[in-house]
Amino acid sequence: MRSIWAVAINTVKQAFRLKIAAVFVILLIVLLPIMGFSMTGDGTAQGRLQAFVSYGLSLTSLLLCLFTIIVSVYSLTNDIKQKQIYMVLTKPIRRFELIFGKLLGVVILDIALLTVFSVLIYTIVIYTPRLSGASAEETAQLKNEFYTARASLTPGEVDVAGEVEKLYQKLDESGQLEQMYKGIRRANIIAELTRRVKLRRRAAAPGQELIWEFRDVKPLSKDESLFIRFKYEVSVNPPDLHVYSAWAAGDYRQVHSGKIETPIETFERKDLIRTFHEIEVSANVVAEDGFLSISFLNVPQLNNTVVIFPPDDGLEVLYKADTFGSNFIKAVFLILFRLVFLACLGLMASSFLSMPVAILLCLLIFFTGTISGFIIESFEYLSKDISLLYSYTVGPMVKLLPQFDKFNPTKFLVSGRLLSWSLFARVGAVMVCIKSVLLLLLALLFFSYREIAKAVIR
Amino acid sequence: MEYAIETFSLTKVFSDLWGRNKVYAVADLNLRIRENEVFGLLGPNGSGKTTTLKVLLGLLYPTKGKYVVLGGDSTDPKISARIGFMPEESYLYRYLSARETLDFYGRLFGLKRQVRKMRIEALLDMVGLKAAANRAVGTFSKGMARRIGLAQALINDPDLLILDEPTTGLDPIGTRQIKDLILELAKRGKTILLCSHLLADVEDVCDRIAILYGGRIQSEGKVKELLVQTDKREITTGRISDAAVEKIKQIVRQEQAECVVSSPMDKLETFFIRTVTAAQQQATPTSGAVSTTRIGGFLSSEGTQKNILDRLVSAPQPEQPSSAEPATKEPVVVETTQTKADEQLLDKLTRVERTETVTKEPANPKLLEPEQTKKNILDELTDAPKNKNTGEGHSGNPDGDPGNA
Repeated sequence: MRSIWAVAINTVKQAFRLKIAAVFVILLIVLLPIMGFSMTGDGTAQGRLQAFVSYGLSLTSLLLCLFTIIVSVYSLTNDIKQKQIYMVLTKPIRRFELIFGKLLGVVILDIALLTVFSVLIYTIVIYTPRLSGASAEETAQLKNEFYTARASLTPGEVDVAGEVEKLYQKLDESGQLEQMYKGIRRANIIAELTRRVKLRRRAAAPGQELIWEFRDVKPLSKDESLFIRFKYEVSVNPPDLHVYSAWAAGDYRQVHSGKIETPIETFERKDLIRTFHEIEVSANVVAEDGFLSISFLNVPQLNNTVVIFPPDDGLEVLYKADTFGSNFIKAVFLILFRLVFLACLGLMASSFLSMPVAILLCLLIFFTGTISGFIIESFEYLSKDISLLYSYTVGPMVKLLPQFDKFNPTKFLVSGRLLSWSLFARVGAVMVCIKSVLLLLLALLFFSYREIAKAVIR
Repeated sequence: MEYAIETFSLTKVFSDLWGRNKVYAVADLNLRIRENEVFGLLGPNGSGKTTTLKVLLGLLYPTKGKYVVLGGDSTDPKISARIGFMPEESYLYRYLSARETLDFYGRLFGLKRQVRKMRIEALLDMVGLKAAANRAVGTFSKGMARRIGLAQALINDPDLLILDEPTTGLDPIGTRQIKDLILELAKRGKTILLCSHLLADVEDVCDRIAILYGGRIQSEGKVKELLVQTDKREITTGRISDAAVEKIKQIVRQEQAECVVSSPMDKLETFFIRTVTAAQQQATPTSGAVSTTRIGGFLSSEGTQKNILDRLVSAPQPEQPSSAEPATKEPVVVETTQTKADEQLLDKLTRVERTETVTKEPANPKLLEPEQTKKNILDELTDAPKNKNTGEGHSGNPDGDPGNA
């Protein structure tokens, strides 16, 4: 243990004294405050903060990723190339201890630098509105939409298979099926009908009402607000491009039982189509068991169009589930997971490669990791015809790639969304416990069999 | 355990990427190095000396054969904790200071803080780098880096010291220090394996040597036995009259033998050390290593009070007249030099200090005549410049013969 610590301390000293760390530190120390003042976003206080947090954290993450790759690769390959390792490995230290020591050193560096920069970013984010003199209205908006960690609930996929089947039977019996879908395979007809039924669930003709039910709604406190976030699509554009609606939020089961315990709030609104809007509702409309229902009425006399809520982001319920600070810390930890992974990757690569090749390999994997979504999708698309072969060969390999883009921490902060513990734990488990450990084992395997003073005759 | 190092037909083959072009760096090497022995591995460049050391230290894996170091595997921390290794060049972390470097290696040996600090200061003092202790070793000259290399090899008070070309890059004083140190450590029961092609160094300190060529042992044995010329005698006297010389010549002629009479020259090494010591006493500032002849003296005298190295070795301490007075710790040569330090130094270059040389050191029978060494295999194998005064390497050595079995 003592020798692991000695190697770790030496690695930290190396990074600082050889000024590798200095380059990154100075770059960030200079860039972050400049970004804090120069970033304006869309001109509003919120846009400004969103732009800063997004670019600031992404830049920190990118630079620290590069830093981690360089330090972890340099530290080991340089020892071998400059032969300092001759004098280290002949001391009472096992090879795995050397690797662990290097890893520990790099992680200590990462934690230190990440702490410094995230504190810097956090401070700038917290103080910017005060310094720039935001109006009371802007401050309120920031509090609700930015300095928060809002959980989001969407009406999940509804199972419509039974309904589709009934509809199919009905059409079949009435003979319309033959008429409408002549010569089309049954599976395709079912798919088409499913789409129509689903659309009907999201659409309200004038006078029609839509009801959504949510369970497990757990706001941080009853004093906070809930937000219904929605966007309208319409079948025919209204003349003024507005939709008149009546909304209600609360526990509608009370209406049937007749016993009112939690309030039901109602709103009459006029909203522009194809734009996001939010309705603020008091959090105490949520029932004790976390049940919440929301209804939308397409007001018959005022509208003359079918109102459709687009899939995915047509309707969401947002509520404050955590504080901005704790969300920020979780986001920073997501970056740290990434760095731990890259440190292990760097050591693995340098356990059998020379410095330039190892850095190249790490950068390649890093950049594929940042576009892993695209890569996985395209592989899956291209391999449709050889799916069996794919799923046993390339598929698992592609899955082993890091998925930095999927777990991008900044998107949560920008939209003030909750970074849930389950996602946090999943990323930690996959990135650190599985992938990093796997890489580390490979590194130990390669390194313990490597002939350190090997000479190749040319 | 009889042998400190034993190899069994050790073979190391280097090949190219495709496994072709085989080069036998070490071939069927059977080496037996006894405990408490100073063993020299000689050979020209590329004869497999360093490769052998690297295999013994676990930096290379043998292609064939086995080896036992201190009764086990040298990569086992229990074993490697007892080994000190000084590679042919000091591969140091350039950004660490001398003190930090030694601290790092001390930590790798798992030495406790107190012990570490004490040993570091003692070693820095010993190798004369105390003044440069806080400078980054990247700024050191080659010789200074070698001194750090030596210090780190001694920090664990090793039972087995492996030295690869210990004296290259060192000034004559450093060379002498290393040689004195080797003898001193051997006296305390340490085993020392050194490889070199500087024959003078090897001859001065080694009990046994093996000469490698093409990865094979060409010759092996005790230095004295290998080099002794039984049919020759040498007489060294004090200042005597020409008449006395003539009488001696006559006696020799009666024995039907040839006789050569000459005045021995002072060794350049001795002169050099004297010069530098004198300059040091006048406190001439230097940015480099402080040249001291303290290595041998340090370990044997001051150690009884301060040095942890001494407490850890069980061998009896060599007698010292007084450990409080530094001057008495110096080897005899230096002592005599100190008395004359104020004299004109250039004058001495030409002067023959016959009496001093004679009283200190009787001529060694293993002295080689230049013509005779030409026949020696060493001469064919090495490209190192030959030192005509090889045999007089002992002249400055207070302990006399290096034999310390």
